[in-house]
Amino acid sequence: MTHAIQVQDVSKSFGETKAVQHLDLDIPQGSMCGFLGPNGAGKSTTIRMIMSIIHADAGTIDVLGTNALHAKDKIGYLPEERGVYRKMKVPKFIEYIANLKGLRGPTLRRKIANWLERVELPDVNKKKCEELSKGMQQKVQFLAAIIHDPELIILDEPFSGLDPVNARVIGNVINELHQEGRTILFSTHVLHQAEQICDRIVMINQGIKVLDGSLESIQEQFDPRVVQVEPVDSTVQFNEIKGISHVYALPRSPRVNLRIDDHANPVEVLQQVVAYTPVRSAELARPSLDEIFIEQVAKSKGSEAADAVRLEMDNA
Amino acid sequence: MRKIIVVAWREFRHTAMTKAFLFGAVVMPLLMMGLFIFIIPLLASEEEPLSGKVVVLAPEDVVAELQTQISDTSSPISEALEQIPSAIGNDPLVGALLPQHAPNEIEMVHALNSDIVTLKESVREGEYVALIVVPESVVNAIQTDDQLEVYIPNSFTPNHTDLLTSTTSKSVVNIRLRRLGHDPEQIYELVRRPKTYATRLSEDGTEAKDNEIARKLIPMAFMLLLWIATFTSGNYLLTTTIEEKGNKVMEVLLSAVSPMQLLAGKILGQAGVSAVILCMYGSAAMAGLVAFAMLDLVPISHLLLFSTYFIIAYFMVATIMAAAGSAVSELSDAQSLMGPVMLIMIVPFALWPIITEHPNGMVAVISGLTPPLLPFIMIIRVTASTELIATWQIVLSICIGFLSVIAMIWMCGRIFRIGILMQGKPPSILQLAKWIRRG
Repeated sequence: MTHAIQVQDVSKSFGETKAVQHLDLDIPQGSMCGFLGPNGAGKSTTIRMIMSIIHADAGTIDVLGTNALHAKDKIGYLPEERGVYRKMKVPKFIEYIANLKGLRGPTLRRKIANWLERVELPDVNKKKCEELSKGMQQKVQFLAAIIHDPELIILDEPFSGLDPVNARVIGNVINELHQEGRTILFSTHVLHQAEQICDRIVMINQGIKVLDGSLESIQEQFDPRVVQVEPVDSTVQFNEIKGISHVYALPRSPRVNLRIDDHANPVEVLQQVVAYTPVRSAELARPSLDEIFIEQVAKSKGSEAADAVRLEMDNA
Repeated sequence: MRKIIVVAWREFRHTAMTKAFLFGAVVMPLLMMGLFIFIIPLLASEEEPLSGKVVVLAPEDVVAELQTQISDTSSPISEALEQIPSAIGNDPLVGALLPQHAPNEIEMVHALNSDIVTLKESVREGEYVALIVVPESVVNAIQTDDQLEVYIPNSFTPNHTDLLTSTTSKSVVNIRLRRLGHDPEQIYELVRRPKTYATRLSEDGTEAKDNEIARKLIPMAFMLLLWIATFTSGNYLLTTTIEEKGNKVMEVLLSAVSPMQLLAGKILGQAGVSAVILCMYGSAAMAGLVAFAMLDLVPISHLLLFSTYFIIAYFMVATIMAAAGSAVSELSDAQSLMGPVMLIMIVPFALWPIITEHPNGMVAVISGLTPPLLPFIMIIRVTASTELIATWQIVLSICIGFLSVIAMIWMCGRIFRIGILMQGKPPSILQLAKWIRRG
């Protein structure tokens, strides 16, 4: 498998602060990878190093077979800090960035107009960037990142600051670009967002990688071996079913979690539950990224750190 | 290179193709040029001759003298025009613009009535254009409280007032001389200080007339031109860099170009701006020289050396400005950072009188080989010196200049690379030194 990005043993410190520590990262070509972690985890620093905007203190970074300095024209990048030339007209700004990426000619203006329409910004042709709302500016900047049809797209918090409608518009475009075969790496601290669209996940916390793999493999790896059931009769007891080691009711919910015995087959247990009593719903529970992440933090930093991360995610 | 050109073109377009720039760098020099050529003739053309009767309460010989003087004397502006050097007066362009001298048609009328109140009333009523009172005591130069008086109506122009007051004073002096038996014209000729011409004798046997004013002013003009062209665009470079940092657009740019490409593009773009400023102000200065037929004071060799020192000066100033702009987030922070730099850069102004006086002196030679003063000092030396500056000094200064430019680009490039992504508190000089070391 060829990799669009290969990061090997990369570290970066700012004074006493270790922003990234011994990070290894492989992003396969054509994948949609979520780069996750709470605020200050080192996501933006890693992305900036990948983009060769800042240099790593140690380790090597390979982007599209070379380094980002030589592959800039093949990379689209939306930085965390949104920025436009305030006095420049919207199409001129996108055109300027496209020119820098090597795009020229009369088709470029048509392309810009088409894209503006596609992201629901059809009436901004004569407007200066400063006349747009923050969300609109973000969409303009997103277009500037992808206008040159890059092979690799790196988006740092692409949805932050967007309302749900605009987030959906940008999300759809990102999906389309992925389906066209482009590699997409995007960072977010909102894990459920990544869960919805990513096929690969990398999680870091305090500069250290805590998780890396496909969404399925991660969920398998952290399979809680739990059947979640909502019985029609709330008084029914499930302890009698073979293969269930523990039963606990979920607080403020009609649902019950049934812990599957280590040696039991989860599918068979599920079938037995459905046969045992009428149920409104029954499913093999899948762990959410939030839960996995908190578990990982708790494992490496202790429960206090996990609580802090949980609080941060609740606030996000 | 393509990316550098794209950045440079944007930098040039967004600086030089704005109304503010067009006004400041294009319209202003044109206006200056226009004023230079047209202002004196324009003022003179507005001057209308004074006509009518002036009633004079004075001894009879004074009245006659006044009549003679008023017919001969023109207005102060016309007198100023007479003072223009023949080189300019003979210039066809200026000559065409100069108004033809129209004589004043004034009739001096000896007042029969000595009642000043009645005479003033007749001026008010328009019977006379003015009243001149010359007491006998003043003519005789007796210590008295009496004084020369000229009464004029409200509508009188300042130039016409000057004409009457100066003519009256002169006439009184003339009468004093005549009463003592002297010819005023002869006296004036006797007291006129003859001009002394200095001629420089070169070792090669040639002689050249010395033009002291030009020798002092032309070096200053060259240095000022260099200073304006480099610092104006340098200032634009500083503000656009801070603006890009403030707009947070820097990271977007760095995703497309490397910091060094960005720096190179910005410096090249502003070099174009600087060249435009130089051309505009330089053309205005050249137009002035052509108008005053003084073009021979600026030989081609000076222009060639000026171009070389301009390149050195521009790149020195531009790299410093770009580095300062990248290191700070606010213009006010940049000003404190630029303080020490500006302190150094005003040294050429302070040294100008010394260097024009002694262009081959110790101060001139040493400061002329010291970056970043080098281009500014050298252009003063080259244009001020009546002898040729030693070739080795010129060659050495150019070599030091270009080596300094390379060193400055290296150092400022390192500051720029780190500074453009920094936000918040501006760095100290010590931190900047660390950035240079760290790269």
